[in-house]
Amino acid sequence: MTDIQQSNPSEITEICETRPHRTLLNDAWIRLRRNRLAVAGAIIILIFALGAIFAPFITKYNFAKQDLDSIFLQPSSVHWLGTDELGRDVFARMLYGARTSLAVGIFTQLIVLLIGLPIGAFAGSKGGRVDNLLMRFVDIMYGFPDILLIILLSAVLRGTTFGNLGGGIFVIFLAIGLVAWVNVSRLVRGQILSLKQRDFVTAARAMGGKGTYITMRHLLPNSLGPIIVSITFGVPRAIFTEAALSYIGIGVKPPTPSWGAMIHDGYNVMFTAPHLVIVPAVAIALIMLAFTFLGDGLRDALDPRSRR
Amino acid sequence: MSTLLDVRNLVTRFHTQDGVVKAVNGASFTVAKGETIAIVGESGCGKSVTSLSILRLIAQPQGKIVSGEALLDGTDLLKLSSEEMRKIRGARISMIFQEPMSSLNPVLTIGRQMTEQLELHRHMGQQEALAEAINLLKLVGIPQAERRVKDYPHHFSGGMRQRVMIAMAISCKPQLVIADEPTTAVDVTIQSQLLELIRGITDEMGMSLILITHNLGVVARYAQRVYVMYAGTVVEHGPALAVYHHPLHPYTSGLLASVPRLDEPRKGRLAPIEGQPPDMMCPPVGCPFQPRCAYALPKCLTDRPELQEMAPGHFTACWVAFSGETLWQKT
Amino acid sequence: MAENVVIEINNLAKYFPITSGLFFKKKVAEVKAVDGVSFAIHRGETLGLVGESGCGKTTVGKCVLQLYRATSGEVIFEGKNLCDLNENQLRPLRRKLQVVFQDPYDSLNPRFTAADIIGEPLQINSDIRGSDFDRRIAELLNIVGLAPYMADRYPHEFSGGQRQRLGVARALALQPEFIVCDEPLSALDVSIQAQIINLLDDLQDKFGIAYLFISHDLSVVRHMSDRVGVMYLGKMMELSERDEIYKSPLHPYTQALLSAVPIPDPAVEEKRKVIVLKGEVPSPINPPSGCVFHPRCPKAFDDCSKLIPQLKDAGSGHEVACLLYKTSWP
Repeated sequence: MTDIQQSNPSEITEICETRPHRTLLNDAWIRLRRNRLAVAGAIIILIFALGAIFAPFITKYNFAKQDLDSIFLQPSSVHWLGTDELGRDVFARMLYGARTSLAVGIFTQLIVLLIGLPIGAFAGSKGGRVDNLLMRFVDIMYGFPDILLIILLSAVLRGTTFGNLGGGIFVIFLAIGLVAWVNVSRLVRGQILSLKQRDFVTAARAMGGKGTYITMRHLLPNSLGPIIVSITFGVPRAIFTEAALSYIGIGVKPPTPSWGAMIHDGYNVMFTAPHLVIVPAVAIALIMLAFTFLGDGLRDALDPRSRR
Repeated sequence: MSTLLDVRNLVTRFHTQDGVVKAVNGASFTVAKGETIAIVGESGCGKSVTSLSILRLIAQPQGKIVSGEALLDGTDLLKLSSEEMRKIRGARISMIFQEPMSSLNPVLTIGRQMTEQLELHRHMGQQEALAEAINLLKLVGIPQAERRVKDYPHHFSGGMRQRVMIAMAISCKPQLVIADEPTTAVDVTIQSQLLELIRGITDEMGMSLILITHNLGVVARYAQRVYVMYAGTVVEHGPALAVYHHPLHPYTSGLLASVPRLDEPRKGRLAPIEGQPPDMMCPPVGCPFQPRCAYALPKCLTDRPELQEMAPGHFTACWVAFSGETLWQKT
Repeated sequence: MAENVVIEINNLAKYFPITSGLFFKKKVAEVKAVDGVSFAIHRGETLGLVGESGCGKTTVGKCVLQLYRATSGEVIFEGKNLCDLNENQLRPLRRKLQVVFQDPYDSLNPRFTAADIIGEPLQINSDIRGSDFDRRIAELLNIVGLAPYMADRYPHEFSGGQRQRLGVARALALQPEFIVCDEPLSALDVSIQAQIINLLDDLQDKFGIAYLFISHDLSVVRHMSDRVGVMYLGKMMELSERDEIYKSPLHPYTQALLSAVPIPDPAVEEKRKVIVLKGEVPSPINPPSGCVFHPRCPKAFDDCSKLIPQLKDAGSGHEVACLLYKTSWP
C-alpha cells in the first residue's frame, strides 16, 4: 500500500457561492450599474429632467419675462447665469429650454418607434418582394440629406392646423420623427432576418406557430436590445437637430425656449457677453454626451455575448 | 527519451462578473522529445486553457496564471517577458486550433499569412519565404499550391483550411506542436486524412505533439501517453494501452464505458456517468469527481487525492484506487 | 402502404436555386441538396441517416417536416401527402411530427423560461391551461429527468445536456408519433451523450415513437438505429438493416466511412488499417457525373462516371446504389 498524502486543506475549504439565479434583465442591470460612464450619464439626464420638471420651483424668473433695465448682466447672485439682450434670466431659460430639448428627444423617438418598428418587423418577417419594396423605399429616403427633409417637412406641416401648437414643437416632433424612423426600421429588419434563422424559431414553426405569433412572441422580444440602444442614441441626435433648426430660425418659435435659439440670439454678442452662447452650448453638449454614455452602457449591458 | 516540456502544478483562473472560475486547478504533465501525448477531457475540464496558458495566450486581465511552471528545455515559459514569449510562439511551440475559419485572417492571403511567420522567425527574404510557403502547402497535400498560395481563407474548404493551419504550424520547424481539437469541426473522413497527415509530419520531423481532444478513438489511435483531465486537474495518466485497458480512475472507466464501440457487439443500454460536469466557479470539495462517482468513500468528500504512481508510468488520483480496489474494472 | 409504416418518403428532392440580379432574380444554378431519396419508417422504429456535411441529411429531415417545401417527391403520413398540403392543413398534423435540434444553445428562446419552452406546443395547439398545464409541464420535466423546480429557470441557467433534455421534453409535449432527431448529440459532451441516448431509447420503448435519427457519428447511429441509410451528396448510397450494414457494408463509401472511425482501444488501433479517401466532398452545385462518389472511390471504374447507379435491393433487403452490384445498373 502506498502512502496516501494529505492534500492541502486550506485550498479545499474555500467557501464559494454557486452562480446566482438571474434573469437576463437582472444580468443587464448589474452590468449597467457597473459602467461608471453610463451611470454618470444617467445621473446627468436625471438632473436635467428634474430641473426641467421642477423649473418653476427652482427659479423665480420666467423664461420670457423681459427686464430691459438689466440687459447683458454677468452671472451674479441675483441672476445665477446672467441675463440676455432682453434682460431675461439665462438660468431660467436654460431650465425651461431643457423641457423643449427633452420633449423633442422623447417624442421624436416615440414616433420613430411607432413607425419604424412595425415597418421593419413587417419587412423582416415577410421577406421577399414586400421586404424588397419597403427597403428600397427606405434606401431612397436615406439618399436625401435628412436636415433638408426635416426642413421641408416642417415647412409643410407648419401650414396645417396644429402647426402653431406649442410654438411649433409638434411640427418638430413630426418632422424629425418622420425622417428618423428609417434607421430603426432597418435595424429591426436586420435583427428579425437573423433571428429567423435560429433554431428556436424553426422549432416554433415546427409546432405550428403562425407568422404573426412568431414575430410577436419570438422575433421582436429578442430584438429589443439593439432597438433600445438605437433609440437612446437617437435622442441626442434629435436634440441636436432641434437646436440646429432653432439656431437657423426655423425651429420652435419664441416665446417657447430653446437652447438653439439662445445660441442664435447670443451669437452677435459672443465676445462681449460670452455666457449667452456658452451656457446653452454646454447644456446641449452635456445632455448629448450623457445620452451617448448611457447608450454605450446599454449596448454593452444588453449584449448577451459580453458576459465576462 | 529526454523531456521537452515539463508543466508543473499549473493554476489558471478567470475573473468573471459572477465570480472566479478556477479553470485549471493544478495540472501537471510532461512531453518527451518526439513523443505524442493526448490530453483528454470534456468541455470545462481545462484542457484548452492549459495549452493556452503554456503559450501565455490567456486573455488578460480576466484570466490569470496564478501559479505553476512550464519548463521548455529547462526555461520557465511562465516567467518570460512578452518579447521573449513571442520568439517562442510559432518558432519553438506552435498551435493548431479547432476552428480554422476564426484562426485565419480573412483579409490576408494564405501566402501572406505564411510568409509573415517565415520572415519573422526564420528570417527569410520575401522570395525565399514564398517558395517555402509553396513547399509547405505541397507537403500538406494542397493541390496547385503555386496558385492557391494567393487565395484567401474563404476560398478553401474546412478540411483544406485545416491543412493550411497545419502547414503554418510546422513552417518554422517547432519542437512542439499543440493541436487543440484539430478535427472536431471536420467530417470523419477528413478527420482521418488530417490526423494521418499530422502524425506523418510530426514523426518525420521529430516534433513532439500534444493532442487535445474529447474523442477517445482519436486518442487511442495517435497517442503514446494519455492524460485524463477532469475539473481542471489531471485525474489519471499513463501509457495509452494501460489507461484504456486498466483504467485506474472511475472517470476514465466511466467515459470508456459510455461510448459505443463499432468493434464490439451492440450493448443494450449505455452506462453513462450520471450527473453533470462541475461548475468551475465552485468545484466540489475533496475529489472533484466525487459527486458523480459510484464508488466514492467518505474520504473522497473531504480530501483531494494527489497523483500517485500505481503501475510503471501509470498514475492516478483516486482514494479508491490507492486502496487497491479497482471495482470498475471488468477483470 | 404497408401495415406498420408511420411515414413514407418517396423520391424526395430539394433543390435550392442560386439567383443573381438586382430586382428580377434569375436562377443561374441549383444546389441539389437532396436528389431522390426514398425510405419508410415503421411504428416505434428508428431509421438512422448518416453522412458527412453536405450530404443532405439535415435537409431531408427538414423536408419531411415541411420546414422546407420539397422541390419534388412525396412525404406520406396518415394517408396524405404532406407536400401537397398548405400550412393550415398541415397545422393539425404537426402535433404528431416533432423535432429535436442539434444546438441546445440555439434551439431555445433565451427569453423563455423552461415552462414556456416546454409548454409552447401546448399553448399553440391545445386548450390545456392553468393547473392542468402546470401539471403537464411537471410531468414532462420528470420524464426527461429534470427537477420540477427548474420550470421557471432560463436556458442560460442550464447546462448543454439539460437544455437538450428541455428540447426533448418540448418535442414530447403533444405526444407525437414521429420525431426527427437532427444531430441531437453533436454539441454535447461524451458522458452526457450517453445520458441523452438512453433517454431517447427509453422514450421510444415507453411511447412507441418512431425516430428519424440524423447524425454523422457512426457509433451512436449503430446504437440507436434499427435500420440505417448512408447519404452522400444528396443521394442515398446504401440502406439496410443495422447489423447488416455495419457487419458487411456493400458500398465503398460506407466502407471508407466505417474505417475512418477510430476505435477507443490502442491495441485495436495499432493493427487496424484505415481506408483514407482522397480529395474532398465536391460542391453540390456541380456534382460529378454518373455516380457522385466516383472521383473519390477507391474501386471506381470506367462506367462509374457515365452511369447513375440505382438504389436497389442487392439481396435480403440490403439496398445499395453502386455499379459493383448488378442490381444497381440502370
